[in-house]
Amino acid sequence: MPQNEHIELFQKRYGFRMDYQERQRKKKAREHKLQSKMAQKLIGIKGKIFAKRRYSEKVQLKRTIKAHEEKKTRKKDEGKVPEGAMPAYLLDRENTSQAKLLSSMVKQKRKEKAGKWDVPLPKVRAQSEAEVFRVLKTGKSGRKGWKRLVTKVCFVGEGFTRKPPKYERFVRPMALRFKKAHVTHPELKATFCLPIVGVKKNPSSPMYTSLGVITKGTIIEVNVSELGLVTQGGKVVWGKYAQVTNNPENDGCINAILLV
Amino acid sequence: MYATYTFVQVTEYVDKDFIDIVLSKTQRKTPTVVHKQYKISRIRQFYMRKVKFAQQTFHDKLSTILTDFPKLDDIHPFYADLMNVLYDKDHYKLALGQINIALHLIDNVSKDYVRLLKYGDSLYRCKQLKKAALGRMATIMKRQAQSLQYLEQVRQHLSRLPSIDPNTRTLLICGFPNVGKSSFINKITRADVEVQPYAFTTKSLFVGHTDHRYLRWQVVDTPGILDHPLENRNTIEMQAIAALAHLRAAILYVMDISEQCGHTIEQQVALFDSIKPLFANKPLLVVLNKTDVIRLEELKPEQKTLIQNFINDDIPVMEMSTLSEEGVMNVKTEACERLLAHRIEVKIKSKKVEGILNRLHVAVPKPRDGFSRPAFVPESVIKQRLEKAPKIKKKTERDLEVELEDDYSLDLKKNYDLPADFKYDVIPEFWEGKNIADYIDPDIMAKLEELEREEELRIESGVYDKEEEEMDEEEKEIHRLADKIREKKAIIAIESRIGRSGGAPVMPRAGRKRERSVSRLRTEFEELGVDMSNKKGAHFARTKSRSTSRPPIKKARADSAGRVSSSSRVTPRDQSGIRNVQLKAKAKKMSHKSQGKMNQFGKAGEADRHIAVKMPKHLFSGKRGIGKTDRR
Repeated sequence: MPQNEHIELFQKRYGFRMDYQERQRKKKAREHKLQSKMAQKLIGIKGKIFAKRRYSEKVQLKRTIKAHEEKKTRKKDEGKVPEGAMPAYLLDRENTSQAKLLSSMVKQKRKEKAGKWDVPLPKVRAQSEAEVFRVLKTGKSGRKGWKRLVTKVCFVGEGFTRKPPKYERFVRPMALRFKKAHVTHPELKATFCLPIVGVKKNPSSPMYTSLGVITKGTIIEVNVSELGLVTQGGKVVWGKYAQVTNNPENDGCINAILLV
Repeated sequence: MYATYTFVQVTEYVDKDFIDIVLSKTQRKTPTVVHKQYKISRIRQFYMRKVKFAQQTFHDKLSTILTDFPKLDDIHPFYADLMNVLYDKDHYKLALGQINIALHLIDNVSKDYVRLLKYGDSLYRCKQLKKAALGRMATIMKRQAQSLQYLEQVRQHLSRLPSIDPNTRTLLICGFPNVGKSSFINKITRADVEVQPYAFTTKSLFVGHTDHRYLRWQVVDTPGILDHPLENRNTIEMQAIAALAHLRAAILYVMDISEQCGHTIEQQVALFDSIKPLFANKPLLVVLNKTDVIRLEELKPEQKTLIQNFINDDIPVMEMSTLSEEGVMNVKTEACERLLAHRIEVKIKSKKVEGILNRLHVAVPKPRDGFSRPAFVPESVIKQRLEKAPKIKKKTERDLEVELEDDYSLDLKKNYDLPADFKYDVIPEFWEGKNIADYIDPDIMAKLEELEREEELRIESGVYDKEEEEMDEEEKEIHRLADKIREKKAIIAIESRIGRSGGAPVMPRAGRKRERSVSRLRTEFEELGVDMSNKKGAHFARTKSRSTSRPPIKKARADSAGRVSSSSRVTPRDQSGIRNVQLKAKAKKMSHKSQGKMNQFGKAGEADRHIAVKMPKHLFSGKRGIGKTDRR
């Protein structure tokens, strides 16, 4: 029975066909025809996949060709000025004036008073009640419609128990309850899966905040003890705010950016 | 016939286009068209189906991979060790573990997203959720690319491993590189192992098969091993060590006494001593190869003493030369004999041998007296035999063949008793319209006439007449009855098929008259012709009829279980067909058990009340003819 590398052994002992090398060469030379045929014939999803693959191959080809060409030509060396460099005659000057400092301080104070925070998504589309809630018919012949089913993703706390079903007005289904969010740190550019502590503010309505509905633009508080952040005073930071950046009900997960 | 130890059954060819295959399959095998004006339940079902299909396909493919690859704990330790040497047990287990994790993750993703899809209230939302689900599954698979690549390589190598049966008779050849192990196996088997002058030509185990005493023997060739400690050994040498450690085989330690392999005899003996622990409990044979260059006698005395040490330790030493083929067959025979003896010894010591020995019995004729009668050949005969000249052996065709070799051709016509020019003529079959075969024998006509006369005599005497069977009265009667029975059976079968007797209303069980009665028995059997007058020898009892002389005593009739029944004309349904109390209890228990689940779940059966229409229209709508409609 054929054992171990029997193919290579056979090739070593008996060699190849007389026309083997020629056939290989000719086959390779015909490859471009096959590619063009496939590019013309493939339709539908297969065509798209093929086109995408072909495009990336072509990009690579072009890059290598360009790299080869660059070696041949010579470019003039433009003297590049590094960023933040100042001409010698301006070196000893103080750049900011007192007035500017004062005005920036005043602006900061005003902002704090107004309660306007600098968030990544300053404006979001407001969600109407018709979007967020769906009417649940109850009663003997389905004639009562005072219950509402929340259709967006929501967060309920850990010790959450429903009100008795007869009296609960807003039904939050278990499938739409999420406990974790994928939070990205804007500077580190790393994403972590962190547990949610609570919903701080939903920009559409305070009712949504109290219900815990999470839509795009909601500020949530996440547990960052995993990251191991420490304050100046030596205390461990375990909660931080983050803003939701996607539509969780469409994607099935909550993506957020940490507010540093 | 032979159990093949191969791992070729791993079928799943793991491709880099794994994800593309699954996704395009999902697209092709599930419905493709959905519009936003369809009912939301239909839209949800459409997308849930896609997510579930993709999950199922991934699951199937990954689980076939997991089951097809051999588990290192389930296979023979020789193969487990070999796979550890070749593929690294930890890496192998890790790769399969990663695939297993990916499998579970994909299942979880599918579960979560199907749950979410139930609350999708628009086509756009459902579509996004399905896209997210499929995307996540694809990402999980992309992370497994490395493991899949490794497993594909393992699969390819595994399918080409030699199929070595670890339990059968095996000869294992070991020694330094270049001593002549592969040449030896090429000589005794049909295994075509490569032989080259450089060391480590053989890089893995090779197996060949040979015959001895009508049995099949496996011969395993190993790569050469060098003399250094176990930790420093490379993969190639470790394969040889694995074979030495796990195969119960006869070991042939091959040494090169001409030192052409590049190692001296002292080094070879040193290697032997270092791997000696692996030879425990195995029949061992030291073989000195390349004796065409230098023989054992021509060696220097120091080297001879080293070899002598082997003989002193009861290890047989044999010489051979694979180039000139002298001694090769002797070595093979000796090794086979030793292994056979060893295996028989082991079998005798085991427990199973008792069962075989109990069945064996060597019968020896009992001596009738103490007189011993050995074989006797008279002296004169012996003398005659010795004096007789040896008969001139006729030259056989075989001898002629050996002599002529290539020029030999079998010619059966050369000994014909014909003149030389007629010997090689072709004999025709027909001549002048007659068969030549009919005229070969000159007496053929006479013989034919005699045969015909004999045949006539035979026909006259009636040898060929068919015998008429004489039936007596009894047999005729039996035949008649059998025909009658057959006829009646056929009629009943046809009637039941047509259903002529059916359709008539049937009385309920309890209302029927007593079916099994003695009178009915009597009438039916008499109809068939059986004599029923003999009451004494009858096994059936006639029920006591109520006679008028005795006043009827009213008694509560109780059955064996002590239960009283008012009138028991027909056996109740749960007692009919049951022989005794134990069987009744068992039947009751079985019926309870089978109904238990149904009762527990309280599912509506046929006997439960079922309301077809919960809200009949006439009760819930419309004005009343008289009265107010403030209650519905």
